[in-house]
Formats: sequence, C-alpha cells, structure tokens
Amino acid sequence: MPMKEAVSCISTYSADTFGVCSALFELGGMIVIHDPSGCNSTYTTHDEPRWYDTDSLIFISGLTETDAVLGNEEKLADDVLTAAADFSPAFIVLLCTPVPLMMGTDFAAIGRLIEAQAGIPVFAAPTNSMDTYDAGASWAFELLAKYMVKTPAEALRTGFCCTWQPEFASCGSVVSQGQEKKTIGVNVIGLTPLDFAVNGSDLSIREFLEGCGCTVISSWAMGSTLAEIEQAAAADVNLVVSYSGLAAAKELQRRFGTPYVVGVPLGRSLQGGIAMDIRMAAAAKQNRYTCAKRVGSAEEDIVIIGESVYAASLAAALSHEYGCGVRVFCPLKTADGILTGRDRVVASEGELKALLAGVRTVIADPLYQPLCPAGTRFIPLGHEAFSGRLYQESIPNLIDHFDTFARKVTERKDTYGAE
Amino acid sequence: MIKIAVYGKGGIGKSTTVSNMSAALADQGLKVMQIGCDPKADSTVSLHGRGTIPTVLDLIRKKKHDILLEEMTAVGYHGVVCVEAGGPLPGMGCAGRGIIAALEMLGAKGAYDVYRPDVVFYDVLGDVVCGGFSMPMRSGYADKVFIVTSGENMALHAAANIAVAVENFKNRGYAQLGGLILNRRNVRQEDEKVQELAQDIHTSVVGVLNRSATVTDAEETGKTVIEAFPDSAMAGEYRRLANAVYEAAQKG
Repeated sequence: MPMKEAVSCISTYSADTFGVCSALFELGGMIVIHDPSGCNSTYTTHDEPRWYDTDSLIFISGLTETDAVLGNEEKLADDVLTAAADFSPAFIVLLCTPVPLMMGTDFAAIGRLIEAQAGIPVFAAPTNSMDTYDAGASWAFELLAKYMVKTPAEALRTGFCCTWQPEFASCGSVVSQGQEKKTIGVNVIGLTPLDFAVNGSDLSIREFLEGCGCTVISSWAMGSTLAEIEQAAAADVNLVVSYSGLAAAKELQRRFGTPYVVGVPLGRSLQGGIAMDIRMAAAAKQNRYTCAKRVGSAEEDIVIIGESVYAASLAAALSHEYGCGVRVFCPLKTADGILTGRDRVVASEGELKALLAGVRTVIADPLYQPLCPAGTRFIPLGHEAFSGRLYQESIPNLIDHFDTFARKVTERKDTYGAE
Repeated sequence: MIKIAVYGKGGIGKSTTVSNMSAALADQGLKVMQIGCDPKADSTVSLHGRGTIPTVLDLIRKKKHDILLEEMTAVGYHGVVCVEAGGPLPGMGCAGRGIIAALEMLGAKGAYDVYRPDVVFYDVLGDVVCGGFSMPMRSGYADKVFIVTSGENMALHAAANIAVAVENFKNRGYAQLGGLILNRRNVRQEDEKVQELAQDIHTSVVGVLNRSATVTDAEETGKTVIEAFPDSAMAGEYRRLANAVYEAAQKG
C-alpha cells in the first residue's frame, strides 16, 4: 500500500459491506456476508445501532480455510437456501469480502443458482470490504430503485411509445390541470444510521416535509417498509440526504422522470430553501442542489470534515443564518454539484493534515481531532460511519437542534474537547 | 460477437493455434480480438511482432485505475487487437486473481464496446486450476470452450479435467464445451485416443492439425504460419480449423 493511503492517526470509514447492510437493514431481505466472521462481524457490534432491538436477516457465511482452499462454493449456496426456506426473505443479497474476492468466487453465478431454486430474487453486491460504506449504501439504494420500485399500474395500462421515455412520469401533483394541489409526494433517499445515527433525524426530516405541505411516500431506508419503497414511483420529487442516495435518485429519474433535490434540512433558512426547491423541482421537473447554495464570506475560518451532502448542508445553514465562512473537506465520495469551489475532496490523512494547518475552527468527528494543529478550535460532531458506537449517544439531531449546535460554533471559545 | 475460450495442457500449442486462427479469421475480414490469459504474456507475440507489449497487470501495477484502453492493446496482423493479461511477479501473488483483475479492467474500459470485435479468443494458461482461470468461461465472457489436446496421456488427462470443470459449471450459465482440437504429436493410436475422450465427455473433435516443421519455421520468423507461409499446407489446416471453430462456436 502506498504511504499516501496509510492511516496512522485517525480511524477509517465503515466498509462498503456495512453500507449495504445498513441501507437494507429494515427491508426484510436476507443479507449474507461471505466471510469467516472476522472483521466483518463488527458491523453488528460497532456499526449498527439497530442490531440489538430490531430483527434483521443479516448473516455471516462462516467461510472456513478448507472451504476456501477446496472451493466448496456449494456450501454457501446450500446454507443460503436452507436459511431462505426458514425465513422466507423478500430478497437475498450476497456480499463479497476480501477472501472470496481473492478466490474469485462468482457471486453472480451462485446467485442465479440460488434464485432458480428458492424463487427469491438474489443480488450479488460488488463489495470487497476495502471500499467505504458510501459505495455499498449507494449500490444498495440504486438496487432498490432499479429492481424494487414498481412501475405504477397506470403506466402499464397506457404503455410506452418510445424506448427513451421514462417508464412512467409522476404527474407533478404540484401543478395539475392548472390547479395547484396542496401536497407534493416526496421520497427521502440516503438515510442510514451510519450518516444520521439513531437520534430521530429520520423522523425530523419526515416532520419537516409534512410541515411544508409534502407527503412522504417512502424513506430510504429508515422508517419505511419495502412495500412503501415499492410505491416510490408515485412521488413528485426525491429528497437526497446523502451521497449514498444520489445514484438511486438518478435511477428513479431515468425510470420515472422524477426530479431530485439534494440537501439535509438543517436550520430555518436552508429548510426554507429546500421547501422552495422541492416545489420548483416538482413544477419544472428539474433537479436542485440546495446544499450547494452557500453565502460567501471573506473570512472563511471554519472547516467541516465529513460526508459531502450533510457537511455541505451544514455549511450552507451556518453561512445563511450566522454569516459564517465555511469550507467542506470531504474524505469520502462525492458528486458534481454538491460541493462548492473552495471545498476539497481529500484522499489521504497526510493531505488532510496539511490542509488543516492554519484553519481556526474544525467541525468533525472527534476521531479527527489528532490531525488538528494545537490551538485549533475543535467542535465535535460524531459520525457513526467513522467512529462507530464510540460517540453514538452524543450525535445530535441537527434537523431539530441546529440552533443549539450553531451557537456552539459561533461562540468564541478557545478549544472544544471531544465529547 | 462470438467469444471463444481455448484451454489445454501447458505446451500443447494453444497460443500458436489461437494466433493462427485469429490471423485466418482476420484474413476473411472479421474483426478479431485475442486476449492472452497467461502470466508469461506471450500469447499474441506472433501477431503483433513487437516482442513484448505492456500487459494489463503491468499497467495496473504502474498506474492503478488511470489506464487508457489503447495502452492495454496492440493492433497486430490484419487489425487483430492483441491483449496480454499478464500476471504477478514469478513465484509471488496470485495469477488466478490476476486474470480476474485484468479481464475486469478490460471490461471496465469498454474494450468490447469500443473495438466491437466479431470474434474474441481467450487463450488461457493450462488447466482450470482455480477460480481465476475459470473467469474466461464465466457468464459474460466466453460462449464456448475449446480444448487443445494431443494423444499424449498427460494432454488427454488435462483435457478431461477441463471438461469436468465445464460440466461442473453448467448450472451457473457458464460457457459450453464447443469441442476438442487435436494437435497431433504422432503418438500411437492418437486419433483413436482423442476420439475416445471426445465420446467420454460428450463432445466432438472439431479440427485436426498435423505436426509440421512449417509451424516452427514460422515461429523463427516471429510470425504466424498464416502470415509467414500463407500458401503452405499448414496454413490451409489452420484456415479450416478456424472456420470449423467459428462455426461450432455459433451453434446453440
């Protein structure tokens, strides 16, 4: 491994396998991690706060050295078939990890075999446990958008005239036959505890949307059943609340013409912007990146390190309501339109450390603090995908409590320690 | 697009046979791609005539994912697109995993969409010794597997093993067995032995190549027989074989 990728002071993000598990946890599918039950088991103990009070069909295959050496792939298929017969999952996902990756296990072929015998859809995730959680969660949400969301019966009756047309276009209920309706159907896409913890953020987003005249069709994937997600084509707009939700939103736009709005509703000003953008997106069928609408400031002295949509939304909210000059340093994947010109995508610990030299205030997960030079104001904002359960209890619900957090940011104290 | 994987015991003449088939089909106006799946990286040497070309794994080693498709390919005799998967350092790493990584990289860079070949040959190292070497016969890769063998016992044994692998994978949607190619070494009862194997594994002998000094003469020139001695009897044998394999590969 080149030194550029080495991590010596800070943590690493949850793996792509965990991203898949977290995204699909509540949907009644059976997720099988093909692994000896080593590091990948820490998903349940460290990265999944719902594990101890919510049932979910997440399994480790218990791959042994003998199975690996002898190529006993039938054992995986047989075990999955047995478990599928016992639990009747809605779908099955097979997750690749480093050992089967090196063996070249053909999950797609094993999946076809299981699917043919069990009569349950089987999907092979292109994971390797070495990529970050956002890649896995993104794949999982896109899978839902591609294969689980049903084409409305209305579209099936009318049929299609051109192959390039979406399968179905939601009628844009904000403007229907010249009369404005009061409700807009919205799917919230990209919610996992890895980004939002289990602190009520998902419910707060739902309440915010209902408060501004929207109807939440489905919430991907906290607080919705698979049956609700299957009806997602009825929405007028998709609200993307993390990078992980973007690929699914694009797929829903391809299939149904549904536009999307990107941003987390933090603070009154950004909430107003998102509410307005949802209405405009529904009316014009155009996407809006509300999280990128930041008010510039000559004095940019605050840096947020974190997931791009959440961090950009927090930066936008702070800039709008408190006039803060904020930049985002994103150590994860992102996409065009989320970050602004002075933000940075950082590829390594060394690069991040160099960038933080001279920065006066840093908002980040507490495990980033060792990279900050002495004297930097450090404001902890736990991120479960980075620190697991360490700071789980103190991760705030900023949808409801943005002002409390913002006051902490704008106070001029010298240093904040990790909570 | 017809995709064909050619397996067989090490040293049986797979690369020579595949390269001559590529050249013969290219002569007929077909767009051919030949992918060498062997760490030695010498499958396409008689087609491109450059001695060595950068292998896909060499490029991955040097440039990770920042590789252009053109860097992985060399255009050889009559437009044959030549690729060498390459491998790890001798005695180290995992050659099977290397084949997977190389073929995935080729796919990721759009090799099949950009070149749009009519025929793709995967020239695969020896036996199906691990998951990596079954990659060329997996769904999305070869449609048919052909096995080169002589009447020598070890070659027949290797061919039988490969046929078992193809049979084991039949419920996975992998490539089907297209047939045997007999590359004569002039051992006793050679034809009978190979016919017997063909019956045992429920396939047929699609073509026969005689032992000929023309093959080694062409090798000396660094070219295929088709290019170096186009009017020779051996060139005729390769043309007949190429047509037979191409035809057999298209059967359902």
